[in-house]
Amino acid sequence: MQNYLTEIFGNELVAEITVYVLNTIPVLAFIVLFVLFAVWLERKVSAHMQDRLGPMRVGWHGVLQTVADFLKLVQKEDIVADANDKALFNIAPFLVFVATLATYTMLPFTSIFVGSNADVGIFLVLALSGAVVAGILMAGWASNNKYSLYGSLRAAAQIVSYEIPTALVVLTMIMVYGTMNLGDVTEAQTSYFWNWGIFGGAGLGLGKFLLVPFMFVAFIILFISTLAESNRTPFDLPESESELVAGFNTEYSGIKFSMFFLAEFANMFLIGSILVIFFFGGYNSPFGYFGNLIGVDWLIPIEQLFWFIGKGMFFVFISMWLRWTLPRVRVDQLMTICWKYLIPYAFFNLLIVGLILLI
Amino acid sequence: MIKDYLKNTWEGLYTVLVGMKITWKHLFVPSVTLQYPEERAKLPERARNRLFVNINDCIGCMQCATACPVNCIDIETVKGAPVDMPGETSKGKKKALWVTKFEIDIAKCCFCQLCVFPCPTECIQMTDVYEYSEWDRDNLIYNYANLTPQEVDIKQLNLEKFQAEKEAKKIEAAKAKAEAAAKKAEEDKAKSEEKPSDDEKKEEK
Amino acid sequence: MSIYDLIFYLFAAITVLSALMVVSSDNIVRSAFYLLATFFGVSGLYVLLGADFVAVTQIMVYIGGILILLLFGVMLTSNITNVEIKKGMKNVIPAIVGIGIFLAATISMMTNTNWKTQPGEIPQTTSFELGKLLITDYVLVFELLGILLLIALIGAASMARKEQE
Ligand code: SF4
Ligand code: SF4
Repeated sequence: MQNYLTEIFGNELVAEITVYVLNTIPVLAFIVLFVLFAVWLERKVSAHMQDRLGPMRVGWHGVLQTVADFLKLVQKEDIVADANDKALFNIAPFLVFVATLATYTMLPFTSIFVGSNADVGIFLVLALSGAVVAGILMAGWASNNKYSLYGSLRAAAQIVSYEIPTALVVLTMIMVYGTMNLGDVTEAQTSYFWNWGIFGGAGLGLGKFLLVPFMFVAFIILFISTLAESNRTPFDLPESESELVAGFNTEYSGIKFSMFFLAEFANMFLIGSILVIFFFGGYNSPFGYFGNLIGVDWLIPIEQLFWFIGKGMFFVFISMWLRWTLPRVRVDQLMTICWKYLIPYAFFNLLIVGLILLI
Repeated sequence: MIKDYLKNTWEGLYTVLVGMKITWKHLFVPSVTLQYPEERAKLPERARNRLFVNINDCIGCMQCATACPVNCIDIETVKGAPVDMPGETSKGKKKALWVTKFEIDIAKCCFCQLCVFPCPTECIQMTDVYEYSEWDRDNLIYNYANLTPQEVDIKQLNLEKFQAEKEAKKIEAAKAKAEAAAKKAEEDKAKSEEKPSDDEKKEEK
Repeated sequence: MSIYDLIFYLFAAITVLSALMVVSSDNIVRSAFYLLATFFGVSGLYVLLGADFVAVTQIMVYIGGILILLLFGVMLTSNITNVEIKKGMKNVIPAIVGIGIFLAATISMMTNTNWKTQPGEIPQTTSFELGKLLITDYVLVFELLGILLLIALIGAASMARKEQE
């Protein structure tokens, strides 16, 4: 590809940059398509859980509704109030979106498509979610609106707090797999489903069986804390409509608002895929590949993509299910869950898993 | 202490699962949504919606306009002249008035149905039509009178003519009377007796 | 010029310019956000040096931790935008002299030192080696740092606690 482009442009530098830019397109396209689908799914799930139908008009059962909404959103006036801090106000949504997009580079979608096979994988994902906080604070501050500021402060407090149990569980996982590279983590759980993290990993013998309950605890903790980090109900205090209008994105409209929106839903898939990578075998199929069976090699990556997205979507669905089941928690409850429950459990889990790994 | 802690944790997780079970069940409950323009809810029998006036039966008594709490019915009538009487209602009641204007501003109507009951001929009724939105508010003023302006003019003219004739007749009658009275008076004079006339003239209604 | 040079100059420019903006901006919140760009630039430079773990730690600790703390502090202070920040040209001549001396010292150091150069690959990954070193050669320092942080944590918690009667 690069050689080909070098011929076209006659310049290696331009060709290289073009390759990098082109490489981001599949991920970007995936995020946009995923968001369009997930918003529709969210509406459908919420509607059916409340015995309604949800969108039905645009396309078959309203599948194109979000496309229509997106088009509408893009047409909207981009309102920037006089009292806003213009520069920061304009940068913030893009910072949030770019930081979220950057985490996607670490995800192994299939064994042949990984944005960046960097060794710091999951560590970078955690670090970038910290950068998202900076973007959210920026948005809240630049909006010059008390609700926005409250929302962003809440978001920051929440994400910073919940980063601790997340990091503790991730540390446990790094101990179990011995690597931070998400591709390697996935490879460690290859072939059948009993090699998946939640079933104690690929090892054999006593350790594997001892690990199972603690992997399960780790899974629950990671699920709750990443859910809180992505500001989803029941942890959606930063944008609680009944208290803060819309939280840190109150003042935003049009394309900038949709940036926040994209980031939020992209985050949902991100947490789903991290859970999948650590506990459910990443892109690995639970029962071997159809492509292997009939001897067609090019089918395998497609199957892997299917399993990865399918499993990720499953957790996205669960988080939607939770959203329409549970009411929002109070701020003090939020902090109690994090500091008094998740962190001690994560700590003990870390210790015990460490002990098990030693024997 | 530690027991409470573990119990709390368990309850927290367990109750979430209970809630999730409920919402999961509702996922499969048939939805109550009606796809409105295609599917419509059945209206109750006595639903109150758009008004309809069977103008052929209306006798122009204005009972309905009087009853309406928001004054959204506007009626004008012209008395029928004997040469051109309005005819009868479907139940055989004689009409005395031409209804030249019968407008209902349905935008103002509050669907209280108070206009329906007083109608002596039961010609103003609630229907089950409830979709009549318009782009222009003026289109919501429904006109039920079926007379064209020319016809109204004719009725007016007829009435005027009739009244004029009546007036003329009256004057003639009065004259005749006066003459008769004068004659009588002369006769009376002759009889040396006086008697004032106390006939009253009829007023128009 | 390879693409890495280009990226290097980009990051270097981001770092230097935003650092300049941090000191010259008259809005303290803006300064804090310029600091964000500085940290990003520095972590980009780390990546180019092959120190991927340090780069990510830079983002994690400085952006995810220190910067957020800073912003919290700034935002929770009332009337923060009205605070007069000292900036502008003051003591120009001593400043120029100081910078000049420092620059001269640095340049002379750079040119006079006999740098040991060694042809070598940029290590593809550093986290594994770093971890090994931390629990073998530098285990004492590592443990001491851990204890220090623990003490700080306990101190913070006890200071934040409500006094109980
Ligand atoms: S329904 Fe009520 S408001 Fe409407 S026209 Fe009749 S009396 Fe008036
Ligand atoms: S009450 Fe009936 S008859 Fe009388 S004016 Fe109204 S509609 Fe006509």
